[in-house]
Amino acid sequence: MKAMSTDIQIAICGSAGDGTIAAGEILRNVMAGLGYKVIAFDVYPPEIRGFGKCIARMRVTTEQAYSLKPQSDVLISLDDSHAIPHVGEVRDYGAVIYERGSIVQLAEGGHISAHVRPAQLPYAVPLRELSEKSTSSNRSRNIVALGFLAGLCGLQEDTFLNALSRKFKKKPEVAESAQSAFRAGYAESADTFKLDDVVFGPVPKAPVAAGSAVEMMNGNAAVVRGCLDAGIENYFGYPITPATSIMERLALEMPKRGARLLQTEDEIAAISATVGAGFAGARAATATSGPGFSLMTEMLGLGVIAEVPCVIFVSQRGGPSTGMPTKTEQSDLHIAVYGGHGDAQRIVIAPTNVEGCYRCAGKAFEMAERYQTPVVVLLDLYLSNRYETVVFPARPPFAPNQSKAPEKDQLGDAYRRYALTGDLISPRTVPGDKDGMYVATGLEHNELGRPNDQPQNHEAQSRKRHEKLKAALAHPDFTHYKRFGDEGAVDVGIIGWGSNFGECLEAMIKARAEGIRCAAMKVVMISPFPVAGVTGFMDQCREVLVPEVNYEGQFANVLQANVGRPVARLNRVPGAPMAVGDILEEVRRLAARARRGHEKAAA
Amino acid sequence: MSTVMKPIYVEDKLREVRESGRLAFRSRTLPTWCPGCGYFSIEEGLTWALNDLGVANKDIVVVSGIGCASRFPFFVNAYGFHTLHGRALPTATGVKLANEALTVVAVGGDGDGFAIGGAHLSHAARRNVDITYLLMDNGIYGLTKGQTSPTSVVGFRTSTSPYENLDRPLNPLLMMLSYGASWVGRSYAGEPNHLRGMIREALAHRGFSYLHILSPCVTFDKTSKTYVNLGMQVEALPETHDPADLAGAMRIAMDTERLALGLFYSELRPTLGDNMDELVARASGPPAARPKKAAGGRR
Amino acid sequence: MGNPSRHHIVIGSGVAGSQAAATLREREPDSRISILTLSSLLFYNRYDLPKVFRGVRDWREFLVQPPEYYENNRIGVRRLNRVAAVDSARRVIVLDHKEEVAFDTLLVASGGRGYVPEELTDYRALMHPFSSYTEALRTANALPEGGHAILLGGDMIGLDLARTLIDTGHQVTLIADDHAFWPHEVEDAERAGFLAALDHMGMRVIDGRAAGGIAAVEAGAKGLSARRVALADGSEVRGDVVMPFFGLTPSVEFMLGSGVDIERGLLVTPGLRTTDEAIWAAGDVCQIWSDEVHRYRFFYGWKNVRAMGELAARNMTGADDPWVSVQDEHLRLTPEGAIHSPFWEYQ
Repeated sequence: MKAMSTDIQIAICGSAGDGTIAAGEILRNVMAGLGYKVIAFDVYPPEIRGFGKCIARMRVTTEQAYSLKPQSDVLISLDDSHAIPHVGEVRDYGAVIYERGSIVQLAEGGHISAHVRPAQLPYAVPLRELSEKSTSSNRSRNIVALGFLAGLCGLQEDTFLNALSRKFKKKPEVAESAQSAFRAGYAESADTFKLDDVVFGPVPKAPVAAGSAVEMMNGNAAVVRGCLDAGIENYFGYPITPATSIMERLALEMPKRGARLLQTEDEIAAISATVGAGFAGARAATATSGPGFSLMTEMLGLGVIAEVPCVIFVSQRGGPSTGMPTKTEQSDLHIAVYGGHGDAQRIVIAPTNVEGCYRCAGKAFEMAERYQTPVVVLLDLYLSNRYETVVFPARPPFAPNQSKAPEKDQLGDAYRRYALTGDLISPRTVPGDKDGMYVATGLEHNELGRPNDQPQNHEAQSRKRHEKLKAALAHPDFTHYKRFGDEGAVDVGIIGWGSNFGECLEAMIKARAEGIRCAAMKVVMISPFPVAGVTGFMDQCREVLVPEVNYEGQFANVLQANVGRPVARLNRVPGAPMAVGDILEEVRRLAARARRGHEKAAA
Repeated sequence: MSTVMKPIYVEDKLREVRESGRLAFRSRTLPTWCPGCGYFSIEEGLTWALNDLGVANKDIVVVSGIGCASRFPFFVNAYGFHTLHGRALPTATGVKLANEALTVVAVGGDGDGFAIGGAHLSHAARRNVDITYLLMDNGIYGLTKGQTSPTSVVGFRTSTSPYENLDRPLNPLLMMLSYGASWVGRSYAGEPNHLRGMIREALAHRGFSYLHILSPCVTFDKTSKTYVNLGMQVEALPETHDPADLAGAMRIAMDTERLALGLFYSELRPTLGDNMDELVARASGPPAARPKKAAGGRR
Repeated sequence: MGNPSRHHIVIGSGVAGSQAAATLREREPDSRISILTLSSLLFYNRYDLPKVFRGVRDWREFLVQPPEYYENNRIGVRRLNRVAAVDSARRVIVLDHKEEVAFDTLLVASGGRGYVPEELTDYRALMHPFSSYTEALRTANALPEGGHAILLGGDMIGLDLARTLIDTGHQVTLIADDHAFWPHEVEDAERAGFLAALDHMGMRVIDGRAAGGIAAVEAGAKGLSARRVALADGSEVRGDVVMPFFGLTPSVEFMLGSGVDIERGLLVTPGLRTTDEAIWAAGDVCQIWSDEVHRYRFFYGWKNVRAMGELAARNMTGADDPWVSVQDEHLRLTPEGAIHSPFWEYQ
């Protein structure tokens, strides 16, 4: 087979209880195991029971992809009532795989076959019948469908059978039953004609550095890996979607490393204990979502004024208030950067992909220690739950112990915990250190840490707390921002942040393919804002577009406040990732405006 | 509490204090409390007890919230964390879990502990986190100049209840007993000798110790919990009371007319830290396989 | 013209059904038109299927109309839909998957499927049918390059395939029986001459009649050819695939409970209407009343089938024209001695 690139997106849609997400998990694990690059994002309902809609979508590629595609190549329906609205997302000549029969009487149009467009290929499979025949239960329809898909796309049966036995290692009878169901579906596909252009090509042998490992995981799992690799010692948290799985994984892993995790009574207790542990010298973190973070902001301010290192992961969801707990949004940037009372500057970093989650998580501990400050790592539901194949380095790229320790002669009665040093970072002791005793306080304090509300002192300490963070803009081994695409002057520059940057990149790649001179910049460190880097980029762009999954243009607000220049904004709040086509359309419009500008300039 | 009145000479007292070593636990910052405030004797009691127990200053962390009582850390020569209103307990929990070698003392008033911080009491107690909580109950918000608190009596007049306080007061001891605190005692600022002994016992207890300290606010409460009134209400716990008897302790705590002083309840059970170490051992194999914890500071 | 709430349903997406849908749309731009078909593909010509042996495998190359045609003409096509029953009283079609679809007028153009004589039905699993794209692909996959295909019966569909197979370097053996040259009616006197012409085309011809018929079809043992056909006289033929070509039998089972008159096919008037005034039929599924011969008879050949589809659609939308055959139905030999069938004249 000649070398070809693969870029296939598969969507599985069903009702809660159909095993939709489970089937997606098996498939994406197998594909990642085969060496493909995978990006996957599942959509699930807020209710645990009942019949809410679940969709598992994954894009399987040989070249690096940055987001899901607007159109899928294959849709598997495990529940027509949920899948029918999604038939339209299958591309021309793509396939729709569905349950052939029905056990209930259907009204006209109740069967998905009524909705498959002429350009799409229908595959009616007796999922229930095959499940019952192969496993004496109708619960394996999802696995039958997987088997059918695998056969249809010419994937190796053994790979899946092995994956199933691995998945159910502890329950051999379940593994066997799943394998039977898979075989039944696979055999069924033999009698149908293949999807000629949904072909998984060979995987190019990518050079992987010795010792490093390719693994597929979602953003939250990558955060956990980052925390563990950075040597997290204490975690305090309160469950909240979509951050909960960070705590769940840490709860499993931390005790194995002698580290301690506590589920607190609320988010206030979680951040309080995190700050307490940070004060005591531990690498400590908590994770939450918008509603929980709102409760945390008072204590975050204490962390700022008392200069306590701690890390707060905030996975955003649709808001305000309870909002849309299982939908994604980027609308907590304002509170992450500005939330709380007083002048409370803190570090805010926002990874743009799963690998970034790992790096930002680990680096956040370094920064918190080095700059003696709370660090907020902003994720969102899309990134927390999005699966990607990630290359992990052989050795964790995170440095231990970044805390500036006092010299011996700085200790004792004259120890100034909040000394105004050259770099404005003061030597820090922790309880247990001899002669380093001080009282950390939320009151404004002098260099010794004693309450002091004199104007000069407040000026000096406020300046210290703000200006010391500027050093984070040069924090080593960290990508604060990065440019992609055309070099030099361009017509349109896209500036993106967080999970949405993948869509920005895809749009940029498409725009360049259309001949638009286009570049994109991701901004990972949002506070303090990398003014020089972003300004430098904007200087080279005739038009600047900032797409965000929020209504207010929160990043654009922060950018404009820092850079002082207007930008074009694109804001969507669908509760889902932004459509690449929407960004592209905006880029085209701006490119046309830029061209008119060129012409005017030429005239 | 019978006391034999003997003359005390200032010179003798000063010598005694200096020689005792207690001053090592006093910070150079002078307390900002009103003259006559019950908190002075609490501070005296804590420094005496710490000294008596021989804890190194560097290994002590005094954590507080907000309020008159919460100024406490500034007056103790140790590490201190003056946190947010109501958040002393969760912060102290974080400190303790980060470093079990530390002696962690949470201090605060009735408003800090039972109003804004009320959500944390039950959880610190049930988890049996190994800290000592000194709750200084004056039945009023002093720092904000005299408003009603959760332990203010019905009918009490303050600036926020100018006609009268309508809400019945909490029963802190009964609450803490039912929450599962493993050490619950009550003392009175007006009986400093009893107080310091109780603080010592509370510190020595392994687990969550709750010491309720009746402490008059001499500035904003002239009518309710005054030295005179409290002095008439307090009495010793019945000698027959067994500190292992939870129901008995609850019965005594329910008497809000006569205020018994002493150790209500004490129970030895694994602390949160013990349980976590156990969990670590289970998850990570035998202790030899685990990295050794550094002594002293965590860095 | 037409009424958006008026629903014409066509069962079958072959030549007759597709032509009918096109004519219906021409005559009634506003009516709702739906095609229900068992096929997984949009309309393709059955006579194009031999192309799979010329390496044409992509289903898109078989489509007569591109998918946009259906969308542009608002012709709904529901593929892989099996009709379980037609309830003529309620004017409802019941699909196999328990869905009901209401119609105002119905055209049954479900065609025919490969007939297999009773005595051979036990061997069906060992034979490769060739009446759909999927079946054609499967057969093509089973027949190796230069492999040997054994054709049973010998209808004109099979003989047409044989031409391609010979042309593409395959070995073909025909075991001819009474169905040879179906649907042409061949006099016994002519039969030998026609069979000789087939031999001349390059296939090996065994006259099954002379051999006493087929006794068994078996799967070959390991290492031997895939299939073995045993004849009653004790001789045998070994090959890679065995394909039945015994003519077509009308697909009418789903009409059995509908109340319309059925003989072998659906019985229709010269205007192609069945005994139910809302139900018409066209193509290989119907037997048309012929005033000439005073009986119902089948008309074959794709030209006839297409004309039937068109006529039925016209009559469903107000016309009242009688059926006139448009196809020469005679099998001939060319002066060079080759078979000439008007059914093979494609364009």
